[in-house]
Amino acid sequence: MAQQSQDIQLSNRLHTLRMNGQAHELPKLILLVTSEADKDKYGSTFNTVMCKPLRASTIASCLQQLLKVDIPARKENQNRPSFLRSLLVGKNILVVDDNKVNLRVAQAALKKYGAKVHCVESGKDAISLLQPPHCFHACFMDVQMPEMDGFEATRQIREMEKKANEIKREQSSSGEGSTFVEWHLPVLAMTADVIQATYEECMKSGMDGYVSKPFDEQQLYQAVSRLVVGTADSAS
Amino acid sequence: EFRPRPPPRVAPADSRTSGSEPSRLAMAAAALRAQLNALLANMFTTGMVDEQFQQLQSLQEDGGSASGFVAEVATLFIDDADRIIADIAALLDQPVVDFDKVDAHVHQLKGSSSSVGAQKVKLACMHFRQFYEAKSKEGCLMALALVRSEFCDVRNKFQTMMQLEQQIAACGPK
Repeated sequence: MAQQSQDIQLSNRLHTLRMNGQAHELPKLILLVTSEADKDKYGSTFNTVMCKPLRASTIASCLQQLLKVDIPARKENQNRPSFLRSLLVGKNILVVDDNKVNLRVAQAALKKYGAKVHCVESGKDAISLLQPPHCFHACFMDVQMPEMDGFEATRQIREMEKKANEIKREQSSSGEGSTFVEWHLPVLAMTADVIQATYEECMKSGMDGYVSKPFDEQQLYQAVSRLVVGTADSAS
Repeated sequence: EFRPRPPPRVAPADSRTSGSEPSRLAMAAAALRAQLNALLANMFTTGMVDEQFQQLQSLQEDGGSASGFVAEVATLFIDDADRIIADIAALLDQPVVDFDKVDAHVHQLKGSSSSVGAQKVKLACMHFRQFYEAKSKEGCLMALALVRSEFCDVRNKFQTMMQLEQQIAACGPK
């Protein structure tokens, strides 16, 4: 809510509500002013007064106080590279893209975090490498490829895993009956068109998320960190 | 257009100053590096390359990629784009144009130019879309001409960049 001289009536109204003990019916009110001097004038009427231009850190601490929520410290953003490194270092990653330029760039971007990256140019080649058992920890899959697109390739990978898990289940039930870790390779779609339709098709075909092409560190961080949360109980 | 500055004057070498040869190379390398920096700056300010190209440079410098990484990707891109542009031209030359195939090829080029940071080529590919969607052969030919023009510009700059890098390397280790 920005303060202007015409709004003095609103300010008076709010003041009256407070005086009458009706403030609990109001949502939290934050006033935006353009000068520090204005901050003192309206403090009693509004829950908080903030000075324009707004800074993210100001909003964060303000909301924290008003709504009693904990907002993660900003310095978490500076730890994105080391977080990604901690998740990806030494991991075997498969990158699938029909374009050599995209493959080379994606490979270098992942190697930056210490991953061991293998590249293939088609869904068919990816499937032949991902028949369980295999040693890959994750797969980045281009969505739009000729012959077989990323969605179809992922569907076939999930089919292979389903069959392998059924066999494993039969074997373990006839043995000691202990639990086993199911095959589920984290598959992230790489797409230049990050739109809702693409997201839904990704999920339907069994993918675990998506990232933009070329990689953006923040998107990579968000997608990979979601994998950790989602697959805490499955194959690592 | 960038014009290279002449190298600074040096005293002629003689038997008493046999140590001047390495420093002449060092000065040549410095001049070449200045040319390379000016070229790169020009590519950024004209919008020929964008932040993604900068990403590639930093992957080479402190991202653990080998020292020839940017040149390697630039070369891959040049070869790839050459092939795609020729393929699109061939498609448009058919009596009946397969616009879906044109779409697929333009999409490929858009992807690779995006990965290398060749912004003007990427934008030319985006501009292309309306013409193959409208199934306009005339429009596609015009759009292809623009793509080709932008590609030739960036290809020439990339090739000059790689030549300068090779010349700098030939001056010896820093």
